[in-house]
Amino acid sequence: MAKKRHHWIVRVTHWVNVVAIVIMVGSGLQIFNAYPAFARKGELFCCYPFEHHPVPAWLTFGGWLAGARNWHFAMMWVLAINGLVYLTFVYLHGEWRDLVPRKGDVRDSWQMIKFYTFRRKDHPHQGKHNALQKTAYFLLPVAGIFAVLTGLAIWKPVQLAPLTSLFGGYVWARYWHFITMVTIVILSVIHVFMVFAVDPYSIKSMITGNYDPALSPEARNARPFYNLLPKRASVTAATPPTEQL
Amino acid sequence: MKEPRDFTLINGIHRRDFLVRGSAALSAALLAACESRGPKAAEKLLRYAERKNIGVERALFRHTHIDKVRSSAYEAGNKLPSYFVSPTVPVWDESARGKWSLEVSGMVANPVKLSLADLQRLPQVSNRVNHYCVEGWTAVETWTGVAFSELARLVRADPKARYVDFQSFDDDYHESCDIESATHPQTVVAYGLDGKMLEPAHGAPARVFSPVKLGYKNTKYLTKIAFMPAPNGGYWTDRGYEWYGGT
Repeated sequence: MAKKRHHWIVRVTHWVNVVAIVIMVGSGLQIFNAYPAFARKGELFCCYPFEHHPVPAWLTFGGWLAGARNWHFAMMWVLAINGLVYLTFVYLHGEWRDLVPRKGDVRDSWQMIKFYTFRRKDHPHQGKHNALQKTAYFLLPVAGIFAVLTGLAIWKPVQLAPLTSLFGGYVWARYWHFITMVTIVILSVIHVFMVFAVDPYSIKSMITGNYDPALSPEARNARPFYNLLPKRASVTAATPPTEQL
Repeated sequence: MKEPRDFTLINGIHRRDFLVRGSAALSAALLAACESRGPKAAEKLLRYAERKNIGVERALFRHTHIDKVRSSAYEAGNKLPSYFVSPTVPVWDESARGKWSLEVSGMVANPVKLSLADLQRLPQVSNRVNHYCVEGWTAVETWTGVAFSELARLVRADPKARYVDFQSFDDDYHESCDIESATHPQTVVAYGLDGKMLEPAHGAPARVFSPVKLGYKNTKYLTKIAFMPAPNGGYWTDRGYEWYGGT
């Protein structure tokens, strides 16, 4: 039986976020390629191994520096306002309770890792999300807030100088902005991979809002690429396992 | 988006096919978006966003917000890049054009033409500040010259002149600027860099420099400063970069 899983505000902000993040990352990388390094002129930068190596052009969006900047400075409002709507909703609606870290999360995450690596047979019992999901869905908004703040710091390094100083000055703020982007990309790539490899049924729930608990990864005992198909109750009932006869 | 409960998909297709098709569709969508400038129709929306951003940027702007250089930062010295739009380094040709001078005119009560010596006789300031390039790099430099606000006082600029245009002899290079940014205490008409007279690579005989504006707003090879009632774009602004370009 289908159950309501995601409120429409969560669904709308999720897909708006997909568009906003893809454009922000693409245009951000195009901007980065104009100076693909962090060092202040006349200095060296300690902490980036690929100084002066541009990222591949196919990862970029906006065509050229000015185009990418125009996209970046327009889409930043969509990203920030959308994020604010989501966080406000999650707070007012009490859904933050499903997402904030709790004491048992480390233990539960370890059990999920054991399950995914075949060192545990049965899927750990979970609430709305498993412990690894909870971690990812908590870290993503945190990274989003960090991206906005470091972004403001390098957009207005003089007018918002105290903020820029907080991140260690312009050079470091630009670096943290980049690292935050990498974090968001890694979390998003894992998220999309796991959706397709473990729970493709959740795509429907992020569109219509409905979710069939009988198809949940826990019900299917699903690991990446294992038990993707639902257990078909009618078939198993008609033909009992032969070894039991 | 495919319906996950569609049985032709789940039972009719091997799960590996499902994954292959899924990732193929995803990469096709991504490739369509990549390396592109985005839809043409978005152009209007981006212009709208830029106008709104200018409002936000001007609201944030304060003369009391000063650029500070970390004491640990090194000066860029000869690592400071030098950009110009002419095919070669623009050099003022005295034999062809006569002596260089800086015209300060427009909506002013007392328009002047200043020689380099005239500029040097005006009260001198030196600022050790950051250079914020639109490309993302920064450089620390010490700029020596005349505060722009000093020049505005000298020519008795009309308070109704809300914009200034900085024009150059580097082809048709110019950039216009809001008066608040131009009169910021760190905006100077500079003739010295790092304790020496400005070299042709960095805008000699004189250029405008302000840490509150991105590099491209700071016109080099100055010939004329015009006080205006409205902005008139600029070299890079007309080619798609933000007009405000503030830091």
